[in-house]
Amino acid sequence: MEILETFGFSLEKFAAQVIIVGIVFFILYKSAYGPVLAMLEQRRRRIADGEANLEKIREQMEQAESNVQEKIDKANAEADRMIAEAKDSAESVREQKTQAAIVEAGKIIAKANEAAKLEHEQLMAELKGEFGRLVIDTTEKVTGKVLDNKDQERINQETAGQVAL
Amino acid sequence: MQIHSIDQAFSHVVLAAGGLDAPHIPGLGGMTAYLTNSIVMAVLVTVAILLFTRIATRKMTMVPDGKQNFVEFVIEMLYGQVEGIVGEKVAPKVFPLLATLFVFILCANWSGLIPGVGTVGFGEKIGFLTLDPEDHNFVPLFRPPTADFNMTLALAAVFMGMWTWITIKELGVFGFIKHVFAPKGGLSGGLWWGLLPIFIFVGFIEIISIMFRPVTLSFRLLGNVYAGETLLHSMSNIGEQMGLTGVWAFVSSVLVPLPFYFMEILVGLIQAIVFTLLCAVYVQLSTEHDEEGHDEGGESAH
Repeated sequence: MEILETFGFSLEKFAAQVIIVGIVFFILYKSAYGPVLAMLEQRRRRIADGEANLEKIREQMEQAESNVQEKIDKANAEADRMIAEAKDSAESVREQKTQAAIVEAGKIIAKANEAAKLEHEQLMAELKGEFGRLVIDTTEKVTGKVLDNKDQERINQETAGQVAL
Repeated sequence: MQIHSIDQAFSHVVLAAGGLDAPHIPGLGGMTAYLTNSIVMAVLVTVAILLFTRIATRKMTMVPDGKQNFVEFVIEMLYGQVEGIVGEKVAPKVFPLLATLFVFILCANWSGLIPGVGTVGFGEKIGFLTLDPEDHNFVPLFRPPTADFNMTLALAAVFMGMWTWITIKELGVFGFIKHVFAPKGGLSGGLWWGLLPIFIFVGFIEIISIMFRPVTLSFRLLGNVYAGETLLHSMSNIGEQMGLTGVWAFVSSVLVPLPFYFMEILVGLIQAIVFTLLCAVYVQLSTEHDEEGHDEGGESAH
C-alpha cells in the first residue's frame, strides 16, 4: 500500500477514475458501438443481399440468353425448312407450268396447222377454179367459139384433174 | 539558476505536473474539493468523446458522411482486431470494453499534447504569464489522465473485473480452477497424476501472474505517458536551464520539444494499442483453454 501511495494512489481518486471509465464505457456502448455495429451489420446484410440478387440476375440473364439462342436456332431451322419447302414448291409449280405451256403450245401448233391446211385447200380450190376459167377463156379465144355449160364443166374437170397438186 | 552544460541540464529534469501524485485543484471546496487535475482532464476527455460520438452517430445513414465514416472505420477496425484475437464467440462480449479502453487511453494520452495541459496552472509567478517551473507547489490545471496512477490502475481494474466475469462465465468456477491447476495437453492415467504436482505449482505461479496483470498494465501505461510528459517539460525548459533568456529561451522552448511531440503522438498510440492487445490476449488465453477443454472432454467421451 505504501508503494501505491508513493505513486499517488488514493482510494477516492481511484474510485472517481473508475466511475469516469464506467461513464465513458456507457457512453460509447450506447451511442457508438450499438448503432454503429447495427449499421455495419445492416450494410453487410444489404451487400450480401445485393450480391445474392446480382447472382440471381446473372443466372436469369444466362437463362434468358440461352432461351433467346434456343429460339434463334429454332427460328433458323424453321426458316431453312420453309425455304427448302418453297424451293420444292417452286420447282413443282415451274414443272406444272412448263407442261401446261407445252400442251398449250401443241394445241396452238395443231390449230395453226389445221388453219393452214384449210387455207391451203381453199386456195387450191380457188386456184383450180381460176385455172379452169383461164383454160376456158383461152380455149374460147383459140377456138373462136363460145363454150356451153357442158363443155365448160368438162374442161374444168379435166383441168382440175391435170392440176392436182 | 544558471546551468552551463548538457549534463548539468539533464540533472535538473523538470517532473511533469509537479510529480507523480495528481494534486487537487487549489481553491475548490465543498463537493468539488476532491477534484484533481487528472480528474478534470478525464472529464473533459469524456465530454469530448461523448460530443464527437453523438454528433457522428446522431443521424446515421446507409451512405455515411465523414464523421460517421470515421467512427465506423475505427469501430470496424477494432472489432476486426479483437475478433482476430479472442475469436468470433467471445468477441461480441468483450469488444465494447476493449474498444472503450483503446479509445479512452488514446484520447487521454494525446490530451497531454494539447498546449496548456501540464503547463497552465497555479504556482509562483516569475514573469508575464509565466510560472516558476521548478516550483514544487506548482499545480497544473490539467494533467493527462493516463499520467495519473489512479487512472491507469482504474483502467486495469475495470479490465480485470471484466476478465474475471468473462472467464467465470465461459469456464465456470470449477472450470477456471481446472484451467489453472489441472495438467494440460490431453494427458491421462499415471502421467496425469505424476505431473499433477508440477501443474499445481505452475498454477500458483499463473495465479501470481494474473494478480500482477493489473500492476503491469497500469505501471507500463503510467510510466510511458508520465515519462513522455516529463520529457516534454524538460525539453521545454532546457534552453532556460542552459542560460538562454528572453526571445531565445522562448524559441528554444518551442523548437526543442517539437520532435518529441511527434514521438509522443506515436507513443500515445502504441501504448493504447499495447494495453488493449494485452487485454485481448489475456481474454483469449482463458477462452482458448476453455474450447480446448471442451474438445478434450468431447474426445474422452467418445
